[in-house]
Parts: sequence; C-alpha cells; structure tokens
Amino acid sequence: MSLSGRLQAWWQSRLPLTDNWLLGQRNIYIVPTRAGFLFAGTLVVMLIAAINYQLNLGYALTFLLCGAALVSMHMTHANLRGLTLHLRPPPAVHAGEPALLEIVVTNPGRDRPGLALRFLDRGGVASAEAPGGVASAATAASTWCDVPALGRASAHLSLVPPRRGWHAVPSLVVETDFPFGLFRAWTIWRPAGRVLAWPRPEEPPPPLPASAAAAGESGQTRVGSGSELDGVRPWRRGDSMRQVAWKKVARSGEMVSRETAGSAARELWLDWGEARTGDTEARLSRLASWVLQAERAGLPGGLRLPGATLAPGLGDTHRRAALELLALWR
Amino acid sequence: MNVAASLRERAAHLPRDARDTLFQLAVIGWTVAPHLLHVPPWCAALSVVLLLWRARLALSGAALPRRWIVSALLGLAAVLTLGSQHTLLGKEAGITMLVVLMALKMLELRARRDALVVFFLGFFLVLTNFLYSQSLATGLWLLVAVWGLLTALALAHMPVGRPPLARAAAVALRSALWGLPLMALLFLLFPRIGPLWGLPQDAAARTGLSGSMEMGTMSTIAEDDAIAMRLRFAGEVPPADRLYFRGPVLSNFDGRTWTRLVPSVRAPQRPRLELELRGAPLRYEVTLEASRQALLPLLEMTPDLPGVAPQIEGWLLTQRPDGQWQTDRPVGERLRLQASAWLDYRHGPREPVPGLADLLALPPGANPRTRQWAQALASRPDLADAPPARLAQAVLDHIRHGGYTYTLDPGSYPGPDVIDAFWIDRKLGFCEHFASAFVVVMRMLGVPARIVTGYQGTDPAPQDGWWIVRQRNAHAWAEIWQPGIGWTRVDPTAAVAPDRVERGRSLAPRPGLVAGTLGSLDPELAQRLRTALETLDNRWNQWVLNYAGGQQLDLLRALGYAAPSRQDLATLMILLLCAAALAGAAWAWWDRRRQDPWQRLQQRVQRRLQALGVAVAAHDDPRRRAARVRATLGARGEALAALLEELDRERYARSGPAVPPRRAWWLRFAAAARRSGS
Repeated sequence: MSLSGRLQAWWQSRLPLTDNWLLGQRNIYIVPTRAGFLFAGTLVVMLIAAINYQLNLGYALTFLLCGAALVSMHMTHANLRGLTLHLRPPPAVHAGEPALLEIVVTNPGRDRPGLALRFLDRGGVASAEAPGGVASAATAASTWCDVPALGRASAHLSLVPPRRGWHAVPSLVVETDFPFGLFRAWTIWRPAGRVLAWPRPEEPPPPLPASAAAAGESGQTRVGSGSELDGVRPWRRGDSMRQVAWKKVARSGEMVSRETAGSAARELWLDWGEARTGDTEARLSRLASWVLQAERAGLPGGLRLPGATLAPGLGDTHRRAALELLALWR
Repeated sequence: MNVAASLRERAAHLPRDARDTLFQLAVIGWTVAPHLLHVPPWCAALSVVLLLWRARLALSGAALPRRWIVSALLGLAAVLTLGSQHTLLGKEAGITMLVVLMALKMLELRARRDALVVFFLGFFLVLTNFLYSQSLATGLWLLVAVWGLLTALALAHMPVGRPPLARAAAVALRSALWGLPLMALLFLLFPRIGPLWGLPQDAAARTGLSGSMEMGTMSTIAEDDAIAMRLRFAGEVPPADRLYFRGPVLSNFDGRTWTRLVPSVRAPQRPRLELELRGAPLRYEVTLEASRQALLPLLEMTPDLPGVAPQIEGWLLTQRPDGQWQTDRPVGERLRLQASAWLDYRHGPREPVPGLADLLALPPGANPRTRQWAQALASRPDLADAPPARLAQAVLDHIRHGGYTYTLDPGSYPGPDVIDAFWIDRKLGFCEHFASAFVVVMRMLGVPARIVTGYQGTDPAPQDGWWIVRQRNAHAWAEIWQPGIGWTRVDPTAAVAPDRVERGRSLAPRPGLVAGTLGSLDPELAQRLRTALETLDNRWNQWVLNYAGGQQLDLLRALGYAAPSRQDLATLMILLLCAAALAGAAWAWWDRRRQDPWQRLQQRVQRRLQALGVAVAAHDDPRRRAARVRATLGARGEALAALLEELDRERYARSGPAVPPRRAWWLRFAAAARRSGS
C-alpha cells in the first residue's frame, strides 16, 4: 500500500462508526476548487487592469466579486453545517445484486441545494430521490439531492456486495460546491450499518432434490385440485398470496389461508449432502436456489447443513432465516 | 397581452437546460451590449448573430455546431480584427476579440467547465466596459450584468430539478450583499498606486486633453459632462471670455494631426517664455480631477514666480517654455492647488529667433486650394505689407462672413487635404477645425502660428462658490507671433460662435427625444430634473470616481492618524480584513449551535411556562402544553392556552413544506405570559 493510501486508511480509521452523522466544524473540510483558483486568477488580472488604467469602478467590481467569493466560502460551508445524515438499515440482498442504501438527510435550517453523495472509493452506483420525486441521472457515481428548509430528503446509493456474508457499508462522502463552485466542502462518514449478502442463487435453477420433487408433485396436485376439501385457517403473517383462499375472503371478508396438504403431509429437507456440486460456495448457491424454489412452490422446506439445522417452514420469515443461515454458514 | 402571457407560458415549460442557456445568453447579451457601440461593425454584427443562433439552437434543442465550425469562426474573427485594428494586441483589438470569443464560447457550451469560463470571461468583459465610461448609468447597467452572471453561476451549481431563477438570483444577491462590507473596506483602503507599467497610450482617449489633436476627436469630448476642474477665486470673478486654461501647445502638423513640436534647433535658439505680467494678480484655488496626463491645465497665465507658483506636496511641477504647466508623472488622482494668474500678460520672444521657423512649417504640397486662397488674400491691395495682426483680422472676417457654421457634428473629413475640405468646401466644424485652419492659413501667409489646447469658460453659475469646468469646455485656439509683441492669442471660434467664448458655453449636442419632449412639456420640471441628475452625477464623480490616494490619506486623517502614509493604509486594511475573517469564523461557530427554529421555540416556551409554574416536558407538543396550562393556571392561562393551540395548528395541521415559526407569535405569547404572571 502506498504511503498516501496508508495515511488515508489511518485517517479513516480515526473516524467513528456511526449511523447518525451530525455535520459541524469538526467534520466538514473545505478547500478551493480548480474553478476557485481560476476565479482568483481572473480577479488578479482584473485588479491589475484596474490599477493600470486607474479605474475606480474596476477596483469596485474586483472587490465586489472578491467579497462575494469569500461570502460564498461561508455559504458553501453553511450548506453542509447542521445537517444530520442517517443511514436506514440496509436490506439484505443476494451477492452480486445491488443493495439500495437509503440515506436520510435532515435539515434544521434554510434549504440546502446541490448536495452530492458518493462512496469514498468511487465504487457503486447511485441514484437520488429528491423530495419532489425528481430523480437525477447519477453522474460519476454521485447522487445529487436538495434538502428543503426544515425538512428532510432521501438519497439512494447502491452497493453491490461481491460475496455472501456481512459487508460493512463503505465510507461515504457528502460534498457540495454550492453556490458558485469556487469552494468544495465535504465530509467523510463511516456508517456503522452492514449489508447482509445471501449466497448468489445458482443459475439456471437446478431441479429440487428427488425426494422433494415427489413431495412437490403431490403437493401441487393437491393445491391444484383446490376444493372444499381443503382446510382453511386464519391468515398468518408469512403466508404467500397464493395460499390465500380468495373466494372465501370475498365471501366472508376475513383473510383466510388454505391449509395445503403439502404443509401438513410432507416436509422437504434441503440437505447439504444432496447438493452435490463443486466447492462450498457452489453448494451454498444450489441450496439458496432450492430455498427460493421451495418457497415459490409453496413447499415447507427445512435446511440441513453440517452443524446447523432449520426446521421446515414457509413464508417470508422462514425464507430469510434460511438464506441468512446460508449466508453466514462458517 | 396575449402574446406576453403565451410567452410566459412557453418559458415556464422550457426544459431546464434550454431555460438556463437562454438566461445565460440574455446575461451575456446585456454585458456585451455597451461594447457593441465601439467595437467594429462586423464584430457587433457577428456577436449578435452568434448569440441569436445559439438561442435558436437552445429553443429547438438541436445539436451544437461542430468544433471545426467554431474554430473557423474564431480564425475569421482574428483575421477581421487584424484587418480592422491592424493588431491582435492592445485594448481595442483585445476587446473586439473578447466580445467574439464570448459569443463563440456559448456555441460550444457543453460541459459545466465551459460555463465557468464563460462567466469568468464575462466578469472581465464587465471590467473592460469601464475603459469607456465610468458614469453612474454605466455602473448601474453593469451592476445588473454582475448580478446576472452570479445568478447564472449559482444556477449552474443547483443540479437537481428545475430551480426557479428567482431562487438563484436571491442566492447571488445574498452573497453580494454580505460581501458589501468587504468590498467597501477594500475599496476605501486598498492603497491606490500608479500604473504598474507605462500607462497605455489608448487610455488617454477618454479624457479631455492629450498631447495631440486629430480632426474630429474633440467632438466626443464636447459631449462629455465630466468635471475637469473646480475653481474658486479669491477676489472678483473675471468674465468667462477671459478664462482660458492652457493645456498642450501643438505646433507640428502632418496634414491631419497636430502634435507637440520636436524643435529642429538647439535650446538657446528656441523661443523662450519671456513672460511679462501686467496689472494685478488673480488669486485662485483649483481642484483638478484625475486627467491621466502629465499636465495641469492652469489659468492663463500662471507664472512660475516664487511665492505664487503652484505647489503640491510630492509632485514636481514645472512650466514649459510654451507656458503650459506639467507634472513629473500622469495625474491619477484629484489634485488641489493654489496659484496666481495674470490675465493681462505678454509672452514669447520679442525679436525673431531661429526656432520660430518651425512654427511656419506645413506638410509640403498639401491643401493647395487653401494655399491659393491665402495667396489671393495676401495679394489684396489693402493687405499689401500688412502686419500679422491685420492679416489675422482679415482671416477672422472671412470666417465671420464666409458662410462658416459652428457645429459639433460636422461629419468626418477624410482625404489628404483636410484643411481644403473644411476651409473651401464644407465650412462646417468646431473649435479644432477653425483653429487648425486658421493656423494653417496664417503659416501660409508667413506668420508663425500654433495651436493651444485647453479649456475655455466655466459653468454659468457656481456651485457652493466653486466654478466648474467640464470636459465639454475643452477648446482649441490659436496663437500668432508678431515681432516686437511676441505671442498673441487669437480665438477663431469666437468669430463664428461668439456665444461659445463669451459665455463660455459650449454648443450642447442636440437633446435626445425624451429630453426634448420633456423640455417642451414642462421646462421647469426638465430643468429641475437635470439639476438633480447633475448633482447626483457630481456626487458620483466626487465620491466614487475621484476617490484616490489623496482622499485615502484624508480618510486616515479623519480617523485620527496624525501623519498617515500608504503603509498605515495597508496595515489598517490587513487588520480589518483579519477582523472580518474572525467575524466570519465567529458566525460559523455560532451557526453551528443553531437548532431547528421549532425546537428553539419549544425550549423558549418551556422556559417561559416553567417560570409561570407550569411543569411541561421538553417533548410535549403545544396541544399538551395548552392542556397543562389550563389545568395549572385555570382561567388566568386561557389566553396562553389559546395561543399554544394556535401554534399547534400552525405546526401540524398544515400540509406542504415546513415553514419556520413566525416571530409575531412569540411576541404575542411573551406578552400573554407577562399578563398571566402578574
């Protein structure tokens, strides 16, 4: 690692990990931009012209612009000062899929136009959601947002985790060069939030294991025959839309789910041993794909890994638990 | 009406890029507009066409022209500049190129970086306008231009959505207003120093007198109302027709331009001043505005005598052999001095000296018809062997009766034989034409003669006891030499327009349409309006344009410095700048602690209620607090509770963007709390 890289890493490691980042004098940095230096050069040329031609209005103009530029430095700094950045808990995604990070910017003062958010290391893809619902095209991986006076705005940055497991959200930069682009103020924020990446599901989806396939068939015939023979029970959180007995709902006005025969009769065990393919990651990918298929087919699947077992079940919570188990296994 | 409404409707639906570009074009057009009057016509036409073309592209959303087209146009502009100005360097050529460059840059405005270059060029272009005029009107016009440029700059840094122009304009205004104290500080205290290198030659064209006189140049000066100097006399005020202020004496004529003489003989043989004064001196005080020339146009004749010679601390003032006063460097600030003048005097060698031959020189072969005319005059029987004064009188009689007209707008006199064209053909002109022709004719008649430029006359009435001489009082007259007498002043303009000299009033240019109409409707109002404008303009000249080194030291003296110097000025400026920087830092520090105004209000309300004995928590909303107030204070707190409920409605029942709490509410609440407490 180069010296500057090391310095940067050391500097970053000094920053606290936090999901709420209040911007103040201690964490806002400000320097002139290249345009600022160009402007300073223009002012010098103008001053020389005013001196050489003895133009009092030339002096006045030069000093007016000089004053405005210095005030713009304060305005640029004040455009960040007092803001609070908050990272919403990021959703879990499959490795290789973009995780959308939502950053809420809360503003206690006057409106703050032209804030740019990006990852420090210039990776990732960004998109912004302005309060008016106007999304701007992401440029150079920065997302722009305006925060209204006494209000808040969300900006979205997406992060693509390469592997399964927990990923720390990388350091973020919030910067602005409003109003005149002569100065650039920025802050570096290390959010404490982490993104959970589930294993990437195998593509194309492999067929369910043999024992499961039989269960699936019978289950599907039972479901397909859908008649009064099916028992019903009150709807529970986690029941899929397909399980809802819509006819009964329409008649009674209460949410009820079918008690499918599959859930009652058969249990599907997705076993580490049956996912016979490649290395560990490939096996986990296959298992993840099976978990998704079983859920889609409405089959209550259990998960059996060396050293970990998840009882069969259905629904979103179960699917997440299964995927999390796969994501974090060993 | 309908057209305006539909235009506004259309503007409201323009895509943001198109709207921003059109706004930038408008600002640039506004900035460039004053220049269109003095750049060559091709440049004015080209820039207008380019800006309109760009506006059309913005409206139709069409692609910008290819780079090679822009480069070709730039090359064309360079060639045309070379053609019309014969150089690419210097002020005029530079401004011509700058104007074209500005318009061309708009044609390739793709990235924001290009936009920044446009804005910075724009600021510089604003500055170049001051080379031509620094009047109050120009200042205001360009102030608008600066505001527009700053607005466009702010707009370029609001990338989200379609921010209204008014918002960007407010940002620009805010930055300029907050920057105003800094600007005033720098303007007052930044040490005024002379030009860093030789004053550019062309800078002189904007003020009254210069070391040369070309046919037609003085007509622009004659329209310039700027003040050249103010005079105060110790005793009786002499009549206007005796007030001649002596500027450069021009003796060398190349057929078109009069310049100072480069003597052909060595110093002892040149004519010397040999001043002879008669009568009582006239003591006067004069304040001279910055002329950017190394000369002082003083009253004729102000001698270099011990005790009465003009003196200014820090300046070396000398009188040239031709009677003109000069300084050791260009005058870049207002100067004040006291001197004495003798209106009755004689000067010049009484006997012929070899150097006088230079004052008979004329370009050979030029103006043949005037020469014929002069020969015809000389051969008139009554003028045979007449003294120079008789010849001069005969020429003046010819001017008076020969059908000559005094006008400030005679048109240009092209061609090699300028004097022929004026003296024989057109007979239209003003002081410089009459003086030139007179001197040429006198030289043809064998009389040494020369041109004197300067000012003549003053404003008809004094202001606060000061008589004002303006640039439009600039004048040119002649001097002829007679043996035994020396130089005699002859003012040929007086022969054709006695008014010009007797009352010292220049022939004002024709009034514009508005002024003319106003004058015929209500002369008194027009007069009052003009007086008010004059006063405003005078103040502007005095306080802004003539603020220079001397005034800076006066300011320091007023601030209590005993013997101020430039160094004190710089020290004070740096100290105050540091103070300003500290104030900025302090504001940032204070601003850091600033909370959401609603929270701050909540805290203030809480403190006030606790003082009344009502226990409320920090997180209670106003409605709950109202209930507490009712419970604790009963009927005494009814007004307070009602106010709190009103606040609650204002805060929570409103949809749309949050607004800060109104101060009026707090004042009412504080008053109600005082009443409840007592």
